[in-house]
Amino acid sequence: MRIRLTSSVLGLFLALIVGSASAEVVVVVSAQNPTESLTRAQLTDIYLGRLNRFPSGESVTPIDQREGATAHRLFYRDYLGQTPAQIKAHWSKLIFTGRGQPPRSVADDSAMADTVAASPDALGYLDSTYLDSAEVGDRLRVVVIE
Amino acid sequence: MPVICHEVYLAVGVMSKTLGIAIAAVSLVYALIGQAQGAETPRLMLNGFGTLGIVHSDEDRADFTSNILVPRGAGHSSDWSAEVDSRLGLQLTAELTPRVSSVVQVIAEQQHNGKYMPELEWANVRFDVTPDLSLRAGRMVQSTFMSSEFRKVGYATPWIRPPLEVYRMIPVTNFDGFDASYRSRIGEVTHTLRGTYGQADAKFSGGEAKARQAWGVSSTLEWGAASLFGSYGGSRLSIEMAGVDTFFDAFRLYGPEGDAIADRYETHDKRFDIFSLGASYDPGDWFVMGEWARSNSRSIIGDLRGWYVTGGYRIGAVTPYMTVARASVTSNLSDPGLSPEWWWHPEALEGAEALNEALNTWLRASARQNTLSLGARWDFAPNMALTAQYDHIDIDGGSWGTLVNHQPGYEPGGTVNLFSLALDFVF
Repeated sequence: MRIRLTSSVLGLFLALIVGSASAEVVVVVSAQNPTESLTRAQLTDIYLGRLNRFPSGESVTPIDQREGATAHRLFYRDYLGQTPAQIKAHWSKLIFTGRGQPPRSVADDSAMADTVAASPDALGYLDSTYLDSAEVGDRLRVVVIE
Repeated sequence: MPVICHEVYLAVGVMSKTLGIAIAAVSLVYALIGQAQGAETPRLMLNGFGTLGIVHSDEDRADFTSNILVPRGAGHSSDWSAEVDSRLGLQLTAELTPRVSSVVQVIAEQQHNGKYMPELEWANVRFDVTPDLSLRAGRMVQSTFMSSEFRKVGYATPWIRPPLEVYRMIPVTNFDGFDASYRSRIGEVTHTLRGTYGQADAKFSGGEAKARQAWGVSSTLEWGAASLFGSYGGSRLSIEMAGVDTFFDAFRLYGPEGDAIADRYETHDKRFDIFSLGASYDPGDWFVMGEWARSNSRSIIGDLRGWYVTGGYRIGAVTPYMTVARASVTSNLSDPGLSPEWWWHPEALEGAEALNEALNTWLRASARQNTLSLGARWDFAPNMALTAQYDHIDIDGGSWGTLVNHQPGYEPGGTVNLFSLALDFVF
């Protein structure tokens, strides 16, 4: 009993280590959205407010995770190559000239999954492990970033 | 008599207290907020930005200011001045419908009269005809240079302040009028074309500048980490300043020759135009950016040139950077003036010589200088950055550089060293 408990705690611990070491953020759309891939440049331009359409021509609404969330930091680091401070400076230029507002942000992976699944024009990102663990696979599609 | 800051004349741009239409439109928009419907709109957002900065200058017989229209700065007025870069801005953005929005921005900073009364920087209503075509009316900021529209938001720029060598050419930022902005996309290149038309009044310590029929076009190309900018604009510029009319009227007493000199240099309804080019490349870990600009005034302000190049490297939260900049004047720095041999009467001759000397001192005083700036920005907290910057300004002989408030004993030319510290924030 004790041994089983210990090993399962150990297993959880290992899973956490492995999970965090291989933490990967994936880009998702609603399963109703036909988009299968985006180029890195398209993704960057959508999240920087320069592009407001999917390649199909449909309008896109990017969704952010809250600043300080791991997924937020990893997304901007891995896909846009920028730090949260750089992103903040970028949006300051647009906000204070009346040229745009940053994407709406949600609290965590679960809120992101719900928001994106509910809206065919939404584009979001979340931790890939959340996608595997939660039963959201049917509601979301992972977008390949080329 | 013409012991007057030369550059105040550059107040081409833009600033006015006559905002009737804009304010009415904005009020209407805000009145409509309660009635608008929609899932995402109306949405009201309050944002702010600010800088708390101090500057030390080792030149104590003139002031260094970040805006040549203000009366006090670092050097003569204060050894360490908090008035050069400090400011607070508040902005209310209202998205009324998915297509109609409004921005009102108020900034408190040192004004032309040395006071800190908040001033309206932006107050306009925007209508998105399509997602890519928008029209605005009211008060807004000219996009003469690459960073013009957000030059007061220290957090959004790498420097403590935009390089004066270029940005001095348009010391006032906002104008009242209209603009149209059209965005198009060719492959992965985003192109934004903007056109503006309006007018501006700018007060400065000792006078007022008026720009009428002010128009401008600007074009921005963005492709991944690279961006290219170009703009061209013109206006009819008038500058009223105590003593200046008297000065040129004195030339007119000398007949046709004096009239020609007064016509050449005075600043009543003169055609002013400005052209600028800029580029930046920012792949993430480092950046480089530069701008070049020239303005022609057909007046005592002269024809100005300026450029700068800034580069920086990001090491974690710290970004060291370096800027080199040059301001120059391509119009004449001297004028033969009135021909003394025509004036045999001793008093007339003396007067002509004094006028000639004053005119030449003024022409030589125009800002010609090189600046080397070294700095580092530290993004130590979300929404906040601390920047330290050292500037070494090498002023050409005879020139007063971009300094203002020159005191008796000030020697033109020479070098000025500045040390600046600024805390920038946004919320």
